[in-house]
Amino acid sequence: MHFAVYVPLLAPLLLLPCLRLLAPQLHPRFASWLLMITMVALGLGSTASLAILTAAGLVKLPVAQLTGRWSAELLAQYDAVGLPVGVGAAAGLAGSVVACGYTLARWARALNRARRELGEVAGDAAFTVVPDDTPYAYTLPGSRGKIVVSSGMLRALTTAERRALLAHERAHLESRHDLIHCLAMLAVRLNPLLVPLRATLSYTIERWADESAVRDTGDRPAAARAIGKAALAARAGSRPPVGSLAAAAGPVPRRVQALLRPAPVLGLRGLLRSFVGVICAGTIVMVVGSGLATVEAASDLNRALETSEVAG
Amino acid sequence: MVGHGAPRQEPDAGNSATPNRRGPGQLEAEILAALWAAGEPVTAAVVQREVGPDLAYTTVVTILSRLRDKGVLARVRTGRAYAYVPIADEPGLAARRMRRVLDSEADRRTVLARFVSDLSSADELLLRAVLDESVPPEGPSPSEGRGRGGQD
Repeated sequence: MHFAVYVPLLAPLLLLPCLRLLAPQLHPRFASWLLMITMVALGLGSTASLAILTAAGLVKLPVAQLTGRWSAELLAQYDAVGLPVGVGAAAGLAGSVVACGYTLARWARALNRARRELGEVAGDAAFTVVPDDTPYAYTLPGSRGKIVVSSGMLRALTTAERRALLAHERAHLESRHDLIHCLAMLAVRLNPLLVPLRATLSYTIERWADESAVRDTGDRPAAARAIGKAALAARAGSRPPVGSLAAAAGPVPRRVQALLRPAPVLGLRGLLRSFVGVICAGTIVMVVGSGLATVEAASDLNRALETSEVAG
Repeated sequence: MVGHGAPRQEPDAGNSATPNRRGPGQLEAEILAALWAAGEPVTAAVVQREVGPDLAYTTVVTILSRLRDKGVLARVRTGRAYAYVPIADEPGLAARRMRRVLDSEADRRTVLARFVSDLSSADELLLRAVLDESVPPEGPSPSEGRGRGGQD
């Protein structure tokens, strides 16, 4: 079997470090798109690889030859994969497709359940306040998405900070980040090696919404303070923190730090001129390369089947 | 006063531009949010001062009336003026139930997009350090982060 067929399956191992290096350098919107497209491409490529491996493995089965369509001796010359690999690939393929269906169904069910309950609340209103001292805020996704904020959260923020919060949540709805999350979720089911990228994507999506909020409100510091206050308010009442700052910073401090710095400018144009752009180009080449590898492996198999066909 | 420390926060927004033109939906949301943050009935004049010095008074009154028609706020008489107060009612409590329903599921993380994720202890330390650095020297604002939240 041509080595090419394994490329999409293993590509995440190479791409993971590249993308994690790259993502913080890019504007979060661009980074999010790049991550999502990469994950989907590799997920589909992995599925294609598994399908090819399944076909190549099953082709060795006596059953395939019983149909009389292919010659056993000619097929033996084709360096196909062993039967165990074929069966393993078939299991992986079936498993990932089932996992996708299950994930989608569960997601849809949870979403509908939340919508139904909140539907009684909000009616047509896109913005709902819940009388609750616990501070929280979130969006319920969908084409008619809803923003839900507790009164405790609203009381903890100033006018400018509330504005930033609402703009952030609105950005999630307008840019349909729920769909991006869903696609990433499915891609991970198709190739579990992509799991670490999901966290990276979640972060860049939040940063994307933060930058959109700043663009709408024109107030960068207020957005930073809103996030900081919201996070600290949610922790109020828990024990005072102890310990060192040794561990890598989590998403909330990083978001606040990013907003206290000037806006990221590295979009497509700046990218093409920088070292970061080289890594980015390399990443894209790898993704495209694994796609081509899949195509190569498929035609390799096809050729072998054709040449093994019994005449007449 | 609408919002906590609003009068002393607004001046530091000297580096913040007037917000871009806001759609009606956004204005309704901001005004409703301001009413909830106030914790007491406020007049239209106060709302206008807090939410939008760039807004016309009549615009603010129109939006307040529209919200009142939707049943999310009530109008009370204070002296010679009308003041507005948000309504906490059955639908709001239903939303609280919904949150508890989803909180028990692992799906919550996938279905809802939360504004901020949970903070670890280390993150809390780092966050306080970052925020304290960024706060201007004058004003009691540094005290805001400490143990304050969801208060009344």
